[in-house]
Amino acid sequence: MPFVDQIVRYGSLSVVGLGKNTGKTECLRYVMGRLFDMHKIVAVTSIGVDGEGVDQVTFTPKPRIYLEKGMYFTTVSSFYEKKRFLAEICHIEDQATVLGKMVTARALERGKMVLAGPSETVSLQQWVRQIPERFPVDVCLVDGAISRLSPASPVVTRSMILATGAAYSANMRTLVERTRYVYDTVKLPAASPGLTEKLKNVTKGIRVITSQGKINDPGVGSALLSDQVRQVLETCGSRLYVPGVVSNVLLKALGERKEVGETELYVRDFSRIFAEPRVFYTFIRRGGRIFQLFTTHLLAICVNPVSPEGFRLNSAELVENIQRQVDVPVYDIKRIR
Amino acid sequence: MNFTRFAKKIEGLQYLADKMELSGSRVRRYLMQSTFCTRPDILQTDFDILQKALDILSVPGSMPEVMQLRHLFTQVHDIQGTLHALKEQHILDEVELFEIKYFAALCTDFHKVCGLLGFHYENLHDLQEVQRLLDPHGAGTVSFYLYDCYSQSLSRARELATSIDPDREPEKWNSIQDRIREEELAVREMLSTKLSGMYPLLRDNFDRIAHIEIWFAKANLAKRYGMVRPCIAVNGPDDAVLCIENMINPQIADTLGTINKEFQPVSVTLKNGPCLLTGANMSGKTVVLKTLALIQTLTQFSFFVPAQSASIPLVKDVFLVIGDKQDQYRGLSSFAAEMLQLDRIMADIRQGIRLLLLVDEPARTTNPAEGAAILCALVEFLEHYNTMSLISTHYGDLGLSCRKLRVSGFNPVQVKGRLDPLMMNEYMDYSLTEDKEGSVPMEALRIARLLGVDDAFIESAQRYVK
Repeated sequence: MPFVDQIVRYGSLSVVGLGKNTGKTECLRYVMGRLFDMHKIVAVTSIGVDGEGVDQVTFTPKPRIYLEKGMYFTTVSSFYEKKRFLAEICHIEDQATVLGKMVTARALERGKMVLAGPSETVSLQQWVRQIPERFPVDVCLVDGAISRLSPASPVVTRSMILATGAAYSANMRTLVERTRYVYDTVKLPAASPGLTEKLKNVTKGIRVITSQGKINDPGVGSALLSDQVRQVLETCGSRLYVPGVVSNVLLKALGERKEVGETELYVRDFSRIFAEPRVFYTFIRRGGRIFQLFTTHLLAICVNPVSPEGFRLNSAELVENIQRQVDVPVYDIKRIR
Repeated sequence: MNFTRFAKKIEGLQYLADKMELSGSRVRRYLMQSTFCTRPDILQTDFDILQKALDILSVPGSMPEVMQLRHLFTQVHDIQGTLHALKEQHILDEVELFEIKYFAALCTDFHKVCGLLGFHYENLHDLQEVQRLLDPHGAGTVSFYLYDCYSQSLSRARELATSIDPDREPEKWNSIQDRIREEELAVREMLSTKLSGMYPLLRDNFDRIAHIEIWFAKANLAKRYGMVRPCIAVNGPDDAVLCIENMINPQIADTLGTINKEFQPVSVTLKNGPCLLTGANMSGKTVVLKTLALIQTLTQFSFFVPAQSASIPLVKDVFLVIGDKQDQYRGLSSFAAEMLQLDRIMADIRQGIRLLLLVDEPARTTNPAEGAAILCALVEFLEHYNTMSLISTHYGDLGLSCRKLRVSGFNPVQVKGRLDPLMMNEYMDYSLTEDKEGSVPMEALRIARLLGVDDAFIESAQRYVK
C-alpha cells in the first residue's frame, strides 16, 4: 500500500474513525504491521480510552491492538499495570490524571495493551513533539476519534487516515454522503500563516477579524446558543474566528444571512465543525467560505463494509462509490492485506 | 508557625512568594511549610547558604550550569506517594520502582551540577546502592522493568511463556501468565524491602532537592529586588535595636514601576519599647509599618531583605494591626475586631513572648476622646513590657513620653495648580525624623484643598479647627 511510505515521510499519523466499529482499530493494526515489517520504530497512543477487548458500546468482540516488540506506547499507569507482557518503563509524566500517571514504555515482547493516552489537544501535541525527541522513534501513531466528547483534536499529527464503514450508516448512499461530508471539511483550505499565528492562542469566545487584519473580541460567548448567535450576527462583521465548536445553529444563521457571500469563517480544524451536512453545504453553496488554522494531510480513507450487527455492504461497490466522491485512495480494510 | 500563616497576616509576603520561580506545587509546598526561625545560629547558616547561591547567580560564567540546574528542578517528579509507600513498607509497583530509579539518577545529576557550581550545601546522599539495585546490569539508562536477573524462577517462567501461543492454548498461556505475575510480585516485594531500608536517604534527598530550589529562588528574588543579607542584632533585654537603612516595599515599588515612578527608600530605627509614628495624610505611615513587618518576617524565614542594610533583632512573632479588617461575617465592627486583636496580642506579651508589634492608627474608628485614651493605655502597656513597637497615629499632644518618629512630610511649595493624588509622591518627603514635641502635623485641610476639594467646604471646616 502506498500510503505507508507517506506516513514515514510525515512522521506522525492519526487514524480517525467516523464512528464506533468503523474499522479504525483494524486500520491501525494494518499500519502498525506494515511499519513493523519495514523495521520502523513506532510509538502509539490513543485519544482517551481505546483498545478494550469488548467494544464498550455494542459489546461485540473488537480486535485489540498488538504491540510489536520494540514499539513504544503511552498509556495511563492503571492500565499499564494490567499488561501481560514484558515492557520497560521509559518515561513518566509528573502530572497525574484520574486514571494515574501517563506511562511511556517500550515493548520487550509482543503483547496486547489497552491504550489511554492524552485526552486533550495540548498534551497530545506535546506527546507528538516530545516522543521523537526522547526516543529513537520513526513514526508517532494516534488512535483518534472525532467526537464532541473528545476535546483532543487529531489534527496534531501531520497525516491522517479516516476510517468509515457500515457501522456509521448501513445505508450505502447515506454512508457515502456522510463520508464525503467529512472529507470536504478535512479539505477546507488553510488560513494564511499570518492570521494563524495571530489566532492560534485564542481558544475561547469569538473573534472578529477586521479588514485591516486586526483581531477584536466582541465579547460574545461561544456562539452555541441561539441567543449568542443572534448577538454574533448583529455585532460581528463578515470575518469571524470561532475557536471552539462551530454549532449547527451558528452555521445555519450565517448561511441565511444576506451577506453570506462575504462571510469568512475561521475554525481551528475540521474536527470542530459540528453542523449538519445540509447546513454546511448551504453555507458553502451560497458563497460562504471556511478556513482552518490547522490542517493535516489526509492519506487515505478506509472502509469497513461490515457493521457490528452483521450487516454487510458490497465492498467493491462501496469503495467505488466513495472513491468517485473523493481525491484520496479508498480501501476496504478487510481486503487490504 | 509556618509560612502559610505569616503569608496571611503579613501583607506583601505572599506577593514575594508568588514572585519566586519555583518549578511546581511540590516545591511550593516546602516553602509554605517552612517555619518562622527564632534561632540566630540557624539563620546565620541559612544566610551563608543564600549568600552562596546569590554569589553563584552573580557570576556570569556559571550561567550554563545554572541553566542546567534550573532544568533539573523541572525534571523532579513528585514522588511523595511512592516515598510514603516505601516508609509504610508497601510493595511498590513497577511504575513506583521506575520513579525511584529515575529519582536516584536525578540525584546524581544534581550532585554533579551543584559540585560544578561550588554549591556545597544541602548535600545529597549517595544513592549508588539504589542504582545498583534498580539498574542491575549497570546500563546507566533510566528505563526500568523487572529484570530476569532478579529471580531465576521468574526468568524461567517468562521463557516458558514465549513457547506458548496465547491464541492456540489460551488456558495454558493464562496459567503461565499468572505464574509470571506471582514471580514478579515476589521480586517487587524483595526490591521494596531492600529499598525501604534506604527510605531515610531517599526522603532526605527529596527534601534537600526542594530546599536547593528554594535557595536559588530566594537568591533570584534577592537579585531582582536588590535585597541584602540582614544582620542579626544581639538580643540583649535592653539594647535590642532594629535598624533598617533605605528599605523599600517590593510590591509597592513594582506598582509604582508600572507608572514609571520610583519608591522612595525609607530608613527607620526602633528600640525596645513603643514608638509613635506621626505624619500627614498620604505620607506613607502605613507603608512604613507594612514594610517593617515584611522585613522582620523575611529575615526570620531566611530571606534577604529589601533594604540597603538591616540589623534585625529576632522575635517570636510579628503582628501587623491595620485595623481595616472588618470582621463582618462574625458580626464584628472594625473597632471590635481591632480591640479583640490587640487584646489577644497583649495576652501574648503578658506571657513574656517577645514580639514586634506594628499598629496603624489604633482606635481611630471611635470618638477621639476615648480613642486617644485607648492609645495612651496601649503605649503605657507596651512601655511596661518594653515591647518593640511602632504605632502610627493622628492624635496629638497626648503628653506621652515615649519616642516619636515623624514623616518629614509634604512640601506644598512645589505644587502647581491642583494636586493629582497619583503625583503625591513627587511632593512628599517620606523620610522619618526624630520628633521631640508631641504635636501632630495639621495638614489635612491643606492637602484636601490641594486635591481640589470644594473651597467653601474647606473654609467651613477651617472655622471648626480649634
